[in-house]
Amino acid sequence: MLLSNRPNRPARWALAAAALAGSCLLSGCFWLDGPQSTFDPNGPVARAQLDLFYVTCWVTLVIFVLVGSALAYAMIRFRARSDDDMHAEPPEQHHGNPLVEVSLIAASVFSLVIIAIPTLKGIWFSYDVPEAERAGAYEVTATGYQWWFKFDYPNETAQTIDPTGKLVSAPLTTGNELVIPAGRPVHVNLRTVDVIHSFWVPKLAGKVDMVPNRANSLWIKADRPGYFWGQCAEFCGESHAVMRFRVIALSPREFNDWLDSQMAPARRVLATAASGAAGPKAHFAAYREFSRNEAGYTDRFAVSPLDAWRQQQMPDSDEDPALIAKGRELFTAKTCASCHTIRGVEGAVGVQGPELTHVGARTTIAGGLLENNRDELHRWIHAPNEVKPGNKMWVNGYVPNNIRLTSADEDALIAFLESLK
Amino acid sequence: MEAIAKSDFLAKGAQPAKPVVLWRPEAKTGPMSWLTTVDHKRIGFLYGISGIFFLLVGGIEALLIRVQLAVPNNSFLTSAQYSEMFTMHGTTMIFLVVMPIGAAFFNFVMPLQIGARDVAFPRLNAFSFWTFLVGAIIVNLGWFMKAGAPDAGWVGYTPLTTRTFTPTHAIDMWVMGLQLLGVASIAAALNFIVTIINLRAPGMTMMRLPVFTWMTLFTSFLIILSFPAITIALVELMMDRLFGTNFFEVSNGGLPILWQHLFWIFGHPEVYILILPAMGIISEILPTFSRKPLFGYPIVVFSGASIGLLGFGVWSHHMFTSGLGTVANAAFALMTMAIAVPTGVKIFNWIGTLWGGHLTMRTPMMFALGFLWMFMIGGFSGIMHAAAPADLQQHGSYFIVAHFHYVLIGGSLFALLAGIQYWFPLMFGRKVDEFWGKTSFWLIFVGFNTTFFPMHFLGLEGMPRRTYTYDGNMGWNLGNLISSVGAFILAIGIGVYLVTAVYTYFRGARTTRDPWDARTLEWSLPNPVPEYNFRAIPTVHARDGWWYEKRHSAEVAKEAEEHAKAEDAHGGIHMPFQSIYPFLASLGIFIGAIGTAVLDRADPALYPGFWGPKIAVTLAGGAIMFVSVVLWSLEGCEGTHIHLNDDGSVKGEDGRGGYGPH
Repeated sequence: MLLSNRPNRPARWALAAAALAGSCLLSGCFWLDGPQSTFDPNGPVARAQLDLFYVTCWVTLVIFVLVGSALAYAMIRFRARSDDDMHAEPPEQHHGNPLVEVSLIAASVFSLVIIAIPTLKGIWFSYDVPEAERAGAYEVTATGYQWWFKFDYPNETAQTIDPTGKLVSAPLTTGNELVIPAGRPVHVNLRTVDVIHSFWVPKLAGKVDMVPNRANSLWIKADRPGYFWGQCAEFCGESHAVMRFRVIALSPREFNDWLDSQMAPARRVLATAASGAAGPKAHFAAYREFSRNEAGYTDRFAVSPLDAWRQQQMPDSDEDPALIAKGRELFTAKTCASCHTIRGVEGAVGVQGPELTHVGARTTIAGGLLENNRDELHRWIHAPNEVKPGNKMWVNGYVPNNIRLTSADEDALIAFLESLK
Repeated sequence: MEAIAKSDFLAKGAQPAKPVVLWRPEAKTGPMSWLTTVDHKRIGFLYGISGIFFLLVGGIEALLIRVQLAVPNNSFLTSAQYSEMFTMHGTTMIFLVVMPIGAAFFNFVMPLQIGARDVAFPRLNAFSFWTFLVGAIIVNLGWFMKAGAPDAGWVGYTPLTTRTFTPTHAIDMWVMGLQLLGVASIAAALNFIVTIINLRAPGMTMMRLPVFTWMTLFTSFLIILSFPAITIALVELMMDRLFGTNFFEVSNGGLPILWQHLFWIFGHPEVYILILPAMGIISEILPTFSRKPLFGYPIVVFSGASIGLLGFGVWSHHMFTSGLGTVANAAFALMTMAIAVPTGVKIFNWIGTLWGGHLTMRTPMMFALGFLWMFMIGGFSGIMHAAAPADLQQHGSYFIVAHFHYVLIGGSLFALLAGIQYWFPLMFGRKVDEFWGKTSFWLIFVGFNTTFFPMHFLGLEGMPRRTYTYDGNMGWNLGNLISSVGAFILAIGIGVYLVTAVYTYFRGARTTRDPWDARTLEWSLPNPVPEYNFRAIPTVHARDGWWYEKRHSAEVAKEAEEHAKAEDAHGGIHMPFQSIYPFLASLGIFIGAIGTAVLDRADPALYPGFWGPKIAVTLAGGAIMFVSVVLWSLEGCEGTHIHLNDDGSVKGEDGRGGYGPH
């Protein structure tokens, strides 16, 4: 009987080893390069952090082999041979060995020094852009809100239209997706307007928290253009789990193109001569029904997410100008404008929610939770409370303002928002 | 005989003040005997039962978490419910399971190991337990109320826990409950320190103390030095929430980073409070079941002290991502690595204890050996966290969850489970069946590793913690599923363990005295241990005092006879009075806490002035507490003296009572 007192050494040890190895190996059947895997660094900060982690792995592995062997040997070699041993003459009552003690302490200290040196170097490296590259660093500010990320570009100016119809400058602010130039260090200032959040895009860098009344920052650099997943990593309330974002790194030219398009105020889709006379076309498409907590992603981003992002920049082929115009009016009429800014839409200067001037060009909505397509957008504006628990759009927007949207309203708003490329 | 002379509270010839005794409880059986007990063994038993109960509560909370996370985008729990689960799971396991079961052992075993008849302040000891119970109830009351259970994490970071962001009473109850748990712990720790310093049997020098007693001492120092930090933090948060101060109100200049510092200055020593008793237990079990003394006793003791001391210098390794700057991060990274040294030294010494011994693989030994392996792995992930830049990826992810469960379950819990089985014969006179004990060990071992080893990978693959759901395209599906399956295996293992323990309590095989041929003084006692502990206070001649006694029985018998005679001539065995006031004081505290944390402010329309239900209840509770403490201090502490019959029973008592089965 494997589990009784009777000595049954081989079977017992096989069981123990199998139990431990089995549980460990099972966990090894993992795919180690998922969208947020730290094992797939795409920039120098993440790479340095991973390399340091591997140093700690090697050192602890060596210690484990040495100490574990000693322990395993002791457990096997010195087992009492029979039950009688419990009260038999005890073995030699050794009390200690100072030489062994001191040597082991010295060896421990030495192995820690191996970890300490790259740790110290890494602390300074991760903290701020290296001196040599600081002049060329790109500056952005990430601000945490419950439960989305705002991104400001303090050194860029965008344009909006003032009440008299003149083009004036305005800050460049986006949300959900941080677009950065690849191959260049990016200095990210970290702020929050409410509770503590944390900015974590594992493939580019470890996280730093956004702490109120504190001016934290980190730096990232994407070696090559790419599309990266990120998530808030400090519990910030009900929708912490679904407070996500993306980082898109673009080649210098593509980044400048993106900046140019962002700078412009909201895109207007003008009726052509042919369609001008008619009113909005009836919209016959039905939207997908989602169950609560149903996934908000498709496999559109599974293979080449950056290409999918590029596609998202293109206007839809079936834009209906009249419907879009109606949506533009509804945006103000339904009080969306009181929380969301759209540069160029009069009165849309709200700052409680994400800025939406070019929301159609973003690949995600609802704080990085849902892919930006018509079905998901409908899901989000139809019943926000079903999507993100406790979200402010519902609690502070829909409920107190008694916002009610008919299907026609939703069609128009969706058409309008999707047109904002 | 110095201990007995020292324990005489009244100087010779002094006239004591006239005590005010409203009622001197004397029941030895029945509910009143439990409410008025000051017997350290009964109090230990109460702590143990409470800890086991909350182990089930915290375990269910964990299982609910694992069901929710078994598959992506699950809707088994809502986000709000999930937040309550992970908050209460953490708070329960730390404050209501590991600490009280540790306290159960401190209470039961430590006085016996030093040859004392009770702790230095028996009534304060009872007060500690009852206040612990009050704190445990307050922290869990939210489950039964509209406010809900606390839901902002066991660390309660501000400003999420300020009134601005969590206006409900859930956090008030969390703050109040934790505050009271702190009061209980501090009172108990002070008690244990005084006991260990002052009530050791003659010949029990500090360097002859069993290692478990040393760890009790260090843990108690950690408690009294670290709890004030969280006390301050909780008071400040309470004042923000109740009275509108601005310690953490960001809109008025409050600094959330202050909460983090105060919390972790407590929080890091707290984790050593959780592991040092476990290390003490292991240091008793390994020598017993290797039939060799502990290897390097002075180094093991010194390492315990170092860990305790250095533990105060590493707190900001919990804050590597908070933006403290390079110098602070560097200092704390290095200190954290330094603390790995005494920890590793202990492991080497434990292996040295096994080396050359005769290892008997009884269930306590299996748990102890499991501890060595699991704590080693947990220690390694701790070293990985100490490398601050690497920690920037690991913090807030499941890698951290894996680390602390390895040291808390694989470390603390394994040791506590080992201790329960090890001291079971002493406490209850019965031995746990080996087959069921080992079955529970293997189920727990396999279940535990299956649950938590995958979490190392989940964290490194970017899965943050405290998240109620995740998407299926992140590569986390299989890991979470395996982990959830493991959790149920672990639960079954714990279930088997507890059912076995309960069965053994009522119908297990009876044992002789000292069934393990152990080394320390508590094993010299009959089982179950009589109320007065030792017939005669022993004189200790060596470390591992009982081992020495067994080999010098003639000398010891003679000493025992002399001691017994001297004590008899002195008036008999000096025992403390039972008292109702510790219980009543805690009851007053409970009522006051309800007023402070649970009741809503009065509607100004109905109660325009200062007075209202909230104030009235709070003050009533405070008054009851105050009056109880006053009467407690006036009822006198001379205690009674008892004499023994030849068979060890107390003259004049009918032999019932005590805490064990009959």
